[in-house]
Amino acid sequence: MTQTEPVAKKTAAKKTVAAKAKTESAVKKKKSGLAFPFTAIVGQEEMKLSLILNIIDPRIGGVLVMGHRGTGKSTTVRALAEVLPFIERVAGDTYNRTVEQYLEGEEGKKGGKPIDPATLKVEQIPVPVVDLPLGATEDRVCGTIDIEQALTSGVKAFEPGLLAQANRGFLYIDEVNLLDDHLVDVLLDVAASGKNVVEREGISIRHPARFVLVGSGNPEEGELRPQLLDRFGLHARIITILDIEKRVSIVKLRREFDDDPDAFMDKYNKEQQKLQKKIQTAKDLLSKVTMTDEVLTDIARLCMNLGIDGHRGELTITRTAHAHAAYKGETVVTMQHVKEIAGLCLRHRLRKDPLETLDAGEKIDRELAKILGEAEAV
Amino acid sequence: MIAFTDIVGMDLAKQALMLLAVDSELGGVVIPSAVGSGKSTLARAFADILPESTPFVELPLNVTEDRLIGGVDLEATLATGLRVVQHGVLSKAHRGVLYVDSLSLLDSSAVSHIMDAMSRGEVLVEREGLSEVHPAKFMLVGTYDPSDGEVRMGLLDRIGIIVPFTAQNDYRARKKIVKMVLGTRDAEDTRDELNMLAGFINAAKEQLPHVSITDDQIRALIQTAISLGVEGNRVDIFTVRAAIASAALAQRSDVDEEDMKQAIKLVLIPRATRMPEKEAESNEAPPQEEPPQQEEPEAEDQEAPSDTPDAEAEEEQKETPDMIEELMMEAIEMELPDNILNISLASKKKATTGSRGEALNNKRGRFVRSQPGDMRSGKVALIPTLISAAPWQETRRRDSKMAGRPKTALLITKDDVKIKRFRDKSGTLFIFMVDASGSMALNRMRQAKGAVASLLQNAYVHRDQVALISFRGKQAQVLLPPSQSVDRAKRELDVLPTGGGTPLASALYLGWETAKQARTKGITQVMFVLITDGRGNIGLQATFDPTPEKATKEELEKEVEALSLSIQADGVAAIVIDTQMNYLSRGEAPRLAQKLGGRYFYLPNAKAEQIVEAALSF
Repeated sequence: MTQTEPVAKKTAAKKTVAAKAKTESAVKKKKSGLAFPFTAIVGQEEMKLSLILNIIDPRIGGVLVMGHRGTGKSTTVRALAEVLPFIERVAGDTYNRTVEQYLEGEEGKKGGKPIDPATLKVEQIPVPVVDLPLGATEDRVCGTIDIEQALTSGVKAFEPGLLAQANRGFLYIDEVNLLDDHLVDVLLDVAASGKNVVEREGISIRHPARFVLVGSGNPEEGELRPQLLDRFGLHARIITILDIEKRVSIVKLRREFDDDPDAFMDKYNKEQQKLQKKIQTAKDLLSKVTMTDEVLTDIARLCMNLGIDGHRGELTITRTAHAHAAYKGETVVTMQHVKEIAGLCLRHRLRKDPLETLDAGEKIDRELAKILGEAEAV
Repeated sequence: MIAFTDIVGMDLAKQALMLLAVDSELGGVVIPSAVGSGKSTLARAFADILPESTPFVELPLNVTEDRLIGGVDLEATLATGLRVVQHGVLSKAHRGVLYVDSLSLLDSSAVSHIMDAMSRGEVLVEREGLSEVHPAKFMLVGTYDPSDGEVRMGLLDRIGIIVPFTAQNDYRARKKIVKMVLGTRDAEDTRDELNMLAGFINAAKEQLPHVSITDDQIRALIQTAISLGVEGNRVDIFTVRAAIASAALAQRSDVDEEDMKQAIKLVLIPRATRMPEKEAESNEAPPQEEPPQQEEPEAEDQEAPSDTPDAEAEEEQKETPDMIEELMMEAIEMELPDNILNISLASKKKATTGSRGEALNNKRGRFVRSQPGDMRSGKVALIPTLISAAPWQETRRRDSKMAGRPKTALLITKDDVKIKRFRDKSGTLFIFMVDASGSMALNRMRQAKGAVASLLQNAYVHRDQVALISFRGKQAQVLLPPSQSVDRAKRELDVLPTGGGTPLASALYLGWETAKQARTKGITQVMFVLITDGRGNIGLQATFDPTPEKATKEELEKEVEALSLSIQADGVAAIVIDTQMNYLSRGEAPRLAQKLGGRYFYLPNAKAEQIVEAALSF
């Protein structure tokens, strides 16, 4: 079973593209690369649920995690890699394409020849998680001409960037609210079209770049551009945990992990696999989940009453509710499911009223209660 | 070079550095201290107590992004024709110390990179065609003068120890002491002492894994963090580590009360946002009803609790009165000076700005990086352009020859062109001065808040900075120093208390000071947005004198006038938004606007959009 593949191998696979020909740093990477296990993270259920629902249905559109400092935002996102399911891609394909996508892309090229699908090998890889650091330059994000190849052999070859690596996976930006404006423009562009187009040195490259955008940050350090905010399907908020016992266990778990990371990982291995399996089961179940027209009407009414522009609100709620039902192992979406995820889906879509003192979450809850009341009365 | 052991005073800072030497996982030490306190000498002497050959890298303030993170080594690349990687400063500090003098002056993008490296323990280099991971696990030692501004809270959150800001001894006196000490002892003494200290720290390091801490002790430390209103959960881990390191230094295997006090003093108190005493009192009053663990797990699934730590949540947490905890609280109260909030960084944290405060642009400021761009849209970065063109010369020459074009020395296409990006503080600072005196009727306040909020929204869109000053009672107060967090400004406005006199002159004075300070940090334009009825009735004297003589109306007006004219002469623009009821007005606010040379709006008539437009069109 591919799912039981050892952790180390997965990490290595993830890093092959980034670490090509840089053996020294690759070796060092492995040593420091042990991430705190997802299932050992205490509290912050909203963020964890948002991430999981996005794995179950990547079309939800990603998640923005905003909140207090030192509450485990990036730890949680980085822990995600270990519970992700596997996807199938054409063996060694830098863009992680499926056979169909591969054929479409390669045959569609200028002078592309028909390829016999039978000659293509496929492989299983864990859903990629790509980290976009703040200091990244545009050429590394979008990809550029491979200078080394050009210098040594005079060949103009495309060197794919982070967007290529992130195709069909997750693209994570920590401190997303501090990201340079021109990179934000690039991301908005690619996120809207699902394609990355690079033209350089007379060659033109176009490759699929569909990814789940995950961003995190502390709102006090700066705000997010409204267009980018709008791109995120879900908005999870995270605050300092005030429950003492929870905090005691956070400290103890962290100490245990720091003392002996390997032993700690072993201890959580079973739970990690259980979660991974649960997510995979939900993914498989997703296509069987249905929603009645009544629920759909209630969702539409909720969005209307909250004055949300466009249809992205409804669409996100619908998809997220489906994924949520699937995660719970149920095949019919109920208003209970909707209620549990409405805040995540709508919080950042409410129009900003400077005079409004009510918190976005409360406002959503209030409208929901109204609709649920109505629904029961009818 | 003065040795660690020869430095006089700064005991707390020394203890902090020793704890860090014992447990590097504490992340770092920040020492806020006034000029000439010897803080940087001490920080540099930190290398003395670390194992030999530990890297000690000093970060220059004007470091560029590629020097910080790493990038292509130009010379070597040109010489060899192969891409040669140069490690950045962050990775050079791996397994050692990264030292930043004047930490609060560090450019915010550099701060972001440091934060990122600290949270990963490595640097991701994704630039200029490079894709590498360099290890960068370092201890950050930072010193700064709080009068230069504060360090970004996000960075402080990753640094375990913050030495409480202490009152300054006379600098010359200290220097003399140092000289005297140095004069009376020879190098051998120093060496012996250093050796002893190094041995001491080594022993503590060996002891470290054998120190244990009880759950109750952890609980008490966390309780203290909550009581002090410290944000985030990461700090718990630092507090516990500091207590353990302190025990290890004393060669003990159990954490005792002293260790916990030390941890509270060096980790928690500098991050306090409120006084513990008050909490303790208010908590005794209400009867304790709810059992602990009141939270149901599903509640979190749906909706995050909407508020930051507040007193209510606190009460619920304070259920299990614990002997240790009481002891701790007593200890803190003893340690704390009355003005704890003045020494704590957290209370001043508003002074920090996010990187939005510094916009990248193509024209002015400090050169940070180059990026592909149109030659006409900015200054061409010559060297990066050449680097990007260099690899293609061979192929281009071939192509060009085939196309029959004339031979040129260098073939540069528009793809090669790199333009410079500069970092610049954004141009305009809006200082909102909100009259919160008793004469501002409540509904007026609401309207005023609305106007301010829409201005804030706009300021955000335009990447401007905002500051918020409120004035009521005896004097004006800066609620939000120049920053770009609209969020925070709104929050401050929401809880703005009202009542008392109208210290208009004090507001003008404070606004002017704020403006002057901002100018030293690159702000080019300042605009006052005054929301008041213009009827000042408290003079400047009240700011300094608790029992001021009652100023006459004429004196008050004169004061305001003199200030207004100076402010106008200083080039500060102004808008006055009059909140006075029509039938009560004696034209004070229009007069104020005139003296300031600013525009005047009458609030009940003015639409938010008009005010915004006026603010942006000056």
